[in-house]
Amino acid sequence: MKDSTRYNRQIILPEIGEEGQYELSKAKVLVIGAGGLGAAILPYLAAAGVGEIGIMDDDAIEISNLHRQVIYKTSAVGKSKVDQAKLMISELNPEIKVIAFSEKLSGKNALSLFEKYDIIVDATDNISIKYLINDACLLVNKPMVYGSVFRFQGQVSVFNYQNGPTYRCLYPDENKNALNCEDAGVIGVTVGMIGMLQANEVLKIILGIGNVLSGKILVYDILNSEQQKYDFEKNANLEITKEDFERQYNSEGNQIHEVQFDAILNEIENDEILFLDVRNRDESPKINLKNQIQIPLMHLENEIEKLHKNQRIYIFCQSGIRSKIATELLQKHQFKKVKSISGGALAMKNLLKEKISI
Amino acid sequence: MIEVKYFGAVAEKTKCEFEKLSFSEELSLQKLLQDLNEKYEFESLTFSVAVNQKIVSKISDYTLQTSDIVALLPPFAGG
Repeated sequence: MKDSTRYNRQIILPEIGEEGQYELSKAKVLVIGAGGLGAAILPYLAAAGVGEIGIMDDDAIEISNLHRQVIYKTSAVGKSKVDQAKLMISELNPEIKVIAFSEKLSGKNALSLFEKYDIIVDATDNISIKYLINDACLLVNKPMVYGSVFRFQGQVSVFNYQNGPTYRCLYPDENKNALNCEDAGVIGVTVGMIGMLQANEVLKIILGIGNVLSGKILVYDILNSEQQKYDFEKNANLEITKEDFERQYNSEGNQIHEVQFDAILNEIENDEILFLDVRNRDESPKINLKNQIQIPLMHLENEIEKLHKNQRIYIFCQSGIRSKIATELLQKHQFKKVKSISGGALAMKNLLKEKISI
Repeated sequence: MIEVKYFGAVAEKTKCEFEKLSFSEELSLQKLLQDLNEKYEFESLTFSVAVNQKIVSKISDYTLQTSDIVALLPPFAGG
């Protein structure tokens, strides 16, 4: 250990001591997502002396992130989150190793990456990725420290800890439609507190102290300062094999109803295509395409006669979640040519700067 | 009398965080969930169900007892 004075106040805790500090220095933790949760988790793991921290995120910092992603400076808007997070950590604690992965987690990179770490922290804002993290953790036998937030409430749990229950044991039905922070709204302290509880679980696992939240989900409500713990059991029927994993994440066609906006950019002047905005009228950034209408998702079913079943329709919302629900809804009503624009208006605005009035 | 707690997007639908329900005949958990679904139209919302702080199967034929606390816990996605 290079400088135990740095860690003195935690080393003098009988539960930690020099031995515990040594365990921390040997630990390798991968944090997926450098957003609101990550911004709380990363500095505390780094400051405590976790020996190696991997950070994965492919986003750039936006001004609307700063109210909750408090490790980033205003001057860093537009820069890579993982690069800035790495910079912050190396200034906070130069004794530890930090690796930045500026890419998206996928079925292709998850398993080989997870192999290199002891603990995987889910600090993402996307349900599909949470299932991917869970399934990859299961295959390479690593614990997953889960956290997520809905408005003023948050959930924390540890999955696949010593072969304990997994995310699928808690939520067997994959529902990709739960709202994220961009869509639902959030304040900084909620993600901060939930991220802190996740960092706490990571430290407990490394140090072997306390009771890890395995087989339990903690639900915290910051408005009435209430927390509840719920027990859940392992369901061995939900275990997945390498073949299941490949089929689910690495086969063609599982994203067929979703389209990247840059792939259809040359179609925005095409009169045969309708762009359908399913956001509410007060949401910004405004997108003004030539052939575009707005029907908020909640009114879509009632106003469905405004649309033609054979028309090619690209649907968007703020971040790509409500547009998926809308796509499924229209497909249920025999619309054949509908697709949801991945990433929604937030992704579109970057490609459309000159067409936007903010 | 039982208490039902709602979280996250489920509480958005019910417009309350908890309610107390009384029932005269035997009421199974499955029937309670059916009734709540009719009342609040949860539709595509997914959630897990806990009775007295323990997650249980939604199709459980468990008969609810006086003072049981049921909770509907949807997954969250923000981060």
